[in-house]
Amino acid sequence: MLRLVARRARAQWPLLAALLAVAVVGPTLLGTCALLLTRTAEQALETAASRATSDQIDVTAYTVTIRDEHARSVADDTRAVLTSALAPFATTTAARASSVMRSLPSAGVPAVAYLSGVEDLPARTQVAAGRLPRAGAVPAEAVVLESTARQLGLTVGRRVRLGRELADDPDQGVEVSVVGVVRPLPGTGWDRDPLAAAGYDPAYHDGRSAQPVHAYGPFIVDLADLLGGGSTLDRLEIGAHPDLSAPAARDLDTVTLAVLGADRRLGQTLGDRVRIQRVASRLPSTLLAAHEQQRVTTAAVLAVAAIGLVLTATALALAGRLSAGVRNDEAALLSALGVGRGQLAGAALVEAGALAVLAGAVAIPASSALHAGLTRLPLMAGAGLATPSGVNAVQVLSVAGGALALAAVLVVPSLRTSSGGLRGRRELLARSGADLLLVALAAVGWWQLRDQPAGSGSPIDAVRVLAPALLLIAGSAVALRLVWPALRLVELLAGRARGLMVPLAAFEAARRPQAVAAGLLIGLGCAAATYGIGFDATWQRSQQDQADVSVGTDLALTLTAPPGAGQGNVVGAAIGGEVSPATDRGIAVGQWLGGAGDPPRLIAVDTTRAEALLRGRLNGGRTWSAVGAGLAPPTRAAGVPVPAGAALSLTGKATGTTPLTVTPRLLLQDATGLRTPCTGEPIPLDGEAHPLPDCATAEGLQLVAVSLPFAIATGNVGTGHSDPLAEPPAGDSRVAVTLTVTGTGSAASPWTATSAGPAPGQLGNPAVALTSTSAGTELRMTTTVALKGRPDAARNLVATAFPAPGPVPVAVSARFADEVGARRGSRLDLTVGLTPVQVSVAEVLPAVPSAPGAAAVLADFDALSRALAVSGDFDVPVDAWWVGHPATGDAADLRLGSVTTRASETARLTGGPLQAGLPAVLRLLVPAAVLLMIAGVVLHVTFDLRARAVEVARLRGLGMTRREIRTVLLGQHVGILLPLLAAGAVIGALATRVVAPLLVRSDTGAAPVPEVVPVWPWAAEAALLTGLLAGCALAVSAVVVVQARLADAAYLRVA
Amino acid sequence: MNGGPLVSVRGVHRRFGSGATAVHALRDVTFELAAGTMTALVGRSGSGKTTLLNIIGGLDRPDSGTVLVDGTDVTALDEDGLSLLRREKVSYVFQTFGLIPVLSAAENVGAPLRLARVPPVERERRVALLLDLVGLAAHAEQLPAELSGGQQQRVAIARALAASPRLLIADEPTGQLDAETGLSVMALLRGVVESEGVTAFVSTHDPTMLALADRVIRINDGQLHEHPGLRSDRQLDEHPGMRSDGRLDGGSHGRDDS
Repeated sequence: MLRLVARRARAQWPLLAALLAVAVVGPTLLGTCALLLTRTAEQALETAASRATSDQIDVTAYTVTIRDEHARSVADDTRAVLTSALAPFATTTAARASSVMRSLPSAGVPAVAYLSGVEDLPARTQVAAGRLPRAGAVPAEAVVLESTARQLGLTVGRRVRLGRELADDPDQGVEVSVVGVVRPLPGTGWDRDPLAAAGYDPAYHDGRSAQPVHAYGPFIVDLADLLGGGSTLDRLEIGAHPDLSAPAARDLDTVTLAVLGADRRLGQTLGDRVRIQRVASRLPSTLLAAHEQQRVTTAAVLAVAAIGLVLTATALALAGRLSAGVRNDEAALLSALGVGRGQLAGAALVEAGALAVLAGAVAIPASSALHAGLTRLPLMAGAGLATPSGVNAVQVLSVAGGALALAAVLVVPSLRTSSGGLRGRRELLARSGADLLLVALAAVGWWQLRDQPAGSGSPIDAVRVLAPALLLIAGSAVALRLVWPALRLVELLAGRARGLMVPLAAFEAARRPQAVAAGLLIGLGCAAATYGIGFDATWQRSQQDQADVSVGTDLALTLTAPPGAGQGNVVGAAIGGEVSPATDRGIAVGQWLGGAGDPPRLIAVDTTRAEALLRGRLNGGRTWSAVGAGLAPPTRAAGVPVPAGAALSLTGKATGTTPLTVTPRLLLQDATGLRTPCTGEPIPLDGEAHPLPDCATAEGLQLVAVSLPFAIATGNVGTGHSDPLAEPPAGDSRVAVTLTVTGTGSAASPWTATSAGPAPGQLGNPAVALTSTSAGTELRMTTTVALKGRPDAARNLVATAFPAPGPVPVAVSARFADEVGARRGSRLDLTVGLTPVQVSVAEVLPAVPSAPGAAAVLADFDALSRALAVSGDFDVPVDAWWVGHPATGDAADLRLGSVTTRASETARLTGGPLQAGLPAVLRLLVPAAVLLMIAGVVLHVTFDLRARAVEVARLRGLGMTRREIRTVLLGQHVGILLPLLAAGAVIGALATRVVAPLLVRSDTGAAPVPEVVPVWPWAAEAALLTGLLAGCALAVSAVVVVQARLADAAYLRVA
Repeated sequence: MNGGPLVSVRGVHRRFGSGATAVHALRDVTFELAAGTMTALVGRSGSGKTTLLNIIGGLDRPDSGTVLVDGTDVTALDEDGLSLLRREKVSYVFQTFGLIPVLSAAENVGAPLRLARVPPVERERRVALLLDLVGLAAHAEQLPAELSGGQQQRVAIARALAASPRLLIADEPTGQLDAETGLSVMALLRGVVESEGVTAFVSTHDPTMLALADRVIRINDGQLHEHPGLRSDRQLDEHPGMRSDGRLDGGSHGRDDS
């Protein structure tokens, strides 16, 4: 038997070579996918970890209230816990600590101050005068911020004594020597300073007194001096940064678990030495999200591998059937010579096994080379995934398994005897049953995909892997059933022609149903290739859409600290484009706070420039311009211009004997629409003019609102210390306050005065008048203050350059509308910070920019800040700068916070190391499908023409020229190819439309937001189909020409 | 019925291969075929019968010599000219029937008419006439695979006659048929020679068929030997199914067993 196989192999080597070539494709594809899912996936995880930003992987331990004797040990133990949690990675730590507040006797007023110790101070500050402190000096050396130095009149060389701690403590205070004045660098953690690096707070509430006190600090000493200096620490924060530049995937898993348990271990380690401790890090969620993204990519890669395997199996089934047809006579002869079916089957198995071994032997290095080449494509190389050629066990097993499975597919046709009669009918019945089963499975797969958009959650989701392949093969099988009747119709029409060529080609095409396997391969190959391109385009478009709505704008600069007035001008000058302040924070809707860690969000931005600022796909043909126009106030607020450096003063007078004070707050708007408050000190309403602090710190500011909270002066005005009155005041006091802004002479639009909540009845007849004088602009505000009630009861007169806005029009996300049952026209009560704001729903959007999938509300920044301002809340929340059409995406030099651009997010989602495998493997699928399809076509045409060589010779005998014969043969094959290609394209389009949107996932594995829109790239698909048709036509032509030439008179004698 | 020569073969040589292994299929073959006659070409397998037929029909070219068919020098024609010759003047009947498997009997017969771009009505009329002539009118829509060998060969003869050729070349038309069926096919050929006035050149190695020929030519190792033969009217008359006018009266009922 072995001799028979060997001799046959020698005689039929071209046939076997063709079978081997086809058999190699599938295992090669499998091996490549196996390498993508093992080597590349591991590398992707490591690369993603190495590219993670510090805020994604840093681990920070917060400890609160540490007595002086434990300070050093707590710091050391905390460092040890963090370092061990991040082992085996090398870790750098940086600590920042602040003492509890101490009294500051030298301030002249009741005041407090605090010490801080900050490691890596040179990287976080810029020395303005003197030098940085050294450890171990007596008294301890300290530096202060410029604002602190200015407020306290400190210079280098001065000594300052900080008094006793405000808590009950026998400590009598510490003395420091000021050796320098520093400027805090933005983006270096100063947002976590007790005074947020302001250096001074004239109205500091420490919770111990109803009245605010002055607070100064930090007095920054060396951390060792602070830890050993006998001060109780209010807070100690240690950040640990692991070096993930060359991580191993296993170590990343270890660290994930260790960091998740670090909080518990820190608690056990520190015990009752601290009041509160907590370890916070995004590292576990970052790495878990990476795993999740990898799962999504894995499912997609496996789905492509399944399609490739089905294609190869179909190609091999075709090859097996054709070769069995060629060997029919040989098998009959062997049977006649007494060779049994078992022996024939044995020979077939030996031959298939040898082919499988050879295919495997070729496929292993081929898949390694293909994988290495694939990773060198710009797409993957750019994601840091370029790898040298290599072999691993999973790849070898995949290749071996694939080769054996395909060998089985190859051997089945050769074991069959010729089908006819009852057996043929049985086969037809079985085929019909298989077609029905495929259609049913495809329908179930589609239904499962539709029903479970987030997948099954298992590591390998079988539905996601198999559904596309099932749909494609079921569609191809159904299409094949429809193609033959269509050809019969063509045959009927062609029969009416007068000549022979067209009818003969049509008859040949329509009356050869034995080309089922070839038809299935052609239809499936075309469907797979078109689907591959369609899915790629759909995936790319969805990632782009997700990036758009995720960032919400072209460039988002998320601030680490509230912006100062004029910062918008700085951002605009540095980045260019349309700049708007933006709010992005959690809110409460009535009593609803959302789910755990998922509060409803408020996004506010200048919607008058929505078209330039907002990004994300809208539905229903709406535009951002139209949506934005419905949210913004009809006119811009025109405030009182406040030139840079302008002096502001306030004069107030109150009737009656009860002394009143006012702590004025001004709301200033800059050119970008940013509104920042400027707060003065408590001022007695004594008829004298009192200068206000330097609020005019930038060009182009406008005063748009003034808040005058009146208080009954019960003690030393300005100290914040009050002495309760023996007798509560009663009656009313008529109050008149004039705010003068020098340097301007123009009166702007009419102002409005209101009594802000929560007790608006405390003020009566609020009024405001704007007058222009030679000295500047005067804003005169009057009201009647009810003196009854608590001395600190709210009596807040708010004057605004705009009328009370009423309910703020907002656009809500679809999820928000579902959660709260809102629709257009609904009115809702939001709580922004602590301020209630009534809103009315103007639009329901698929998603709010920057809040994909969230229950979110989009408002106009101006409208929102107006609503807050009339409520007396001047702290308009600003969390970011949004920039539309930026001239540059590089805003890192501003050091204001993290920068995210739409382009970078798109690049991350489409070309990140964890995602790049998907588009890469799709680029593998398309050529593989085309290759297998054309190989199948060539095999089929070659075998067909060889079998019909006699027929070709007969046509010559009839008097047909070679050209006419070629035309008939070409017409016949193209006549079959065209409808099959068309059917394949239709199936590919159908799969793209029906399945692709269900397979595209976000990077968290959830259904993407916005909803995936299927994309059918006409140009690319047309090019593919043209190429396929041209390739097939070329292959068919070559074979036809050769066969037509070979089929000479000698064939006429062949039976 | 006999006239001047329709085919004139002069000094035809045909060799396959070269050197010591060369095979001389035809050696200086010279003869003529009179129009309207049926000539049998006999010889053993490998004697050169098919080569000679192919050269006369323009399916092969001689190494030397000339072949005139109806005054046309076949050896001087190019490929298209040869195709035109086969389309208009020469028809073939092959041992293996030569039918196109995907075409019905009627479509096979109509194929030469389609090549000649005969109008559909005229084509259908002539196909019906020819199928009736060969006794297969009732099998017009059957595919070759559904017909017996004898029926297939009759379809082949009908197809060969469709374009009204001057010369009908039949290469062992009974080679795959049993003796009785073979005889009926030869009788049919004999009949159409007489009824259609066509010139038939038929190769065979069955001596029983020779009696139906007007003339017998023997070929041996590529050389011709004239073998005067007479048509046996008795044998013809004795053959069941053959009418006195030379046409078959049966054969359309059921399949021949071949």
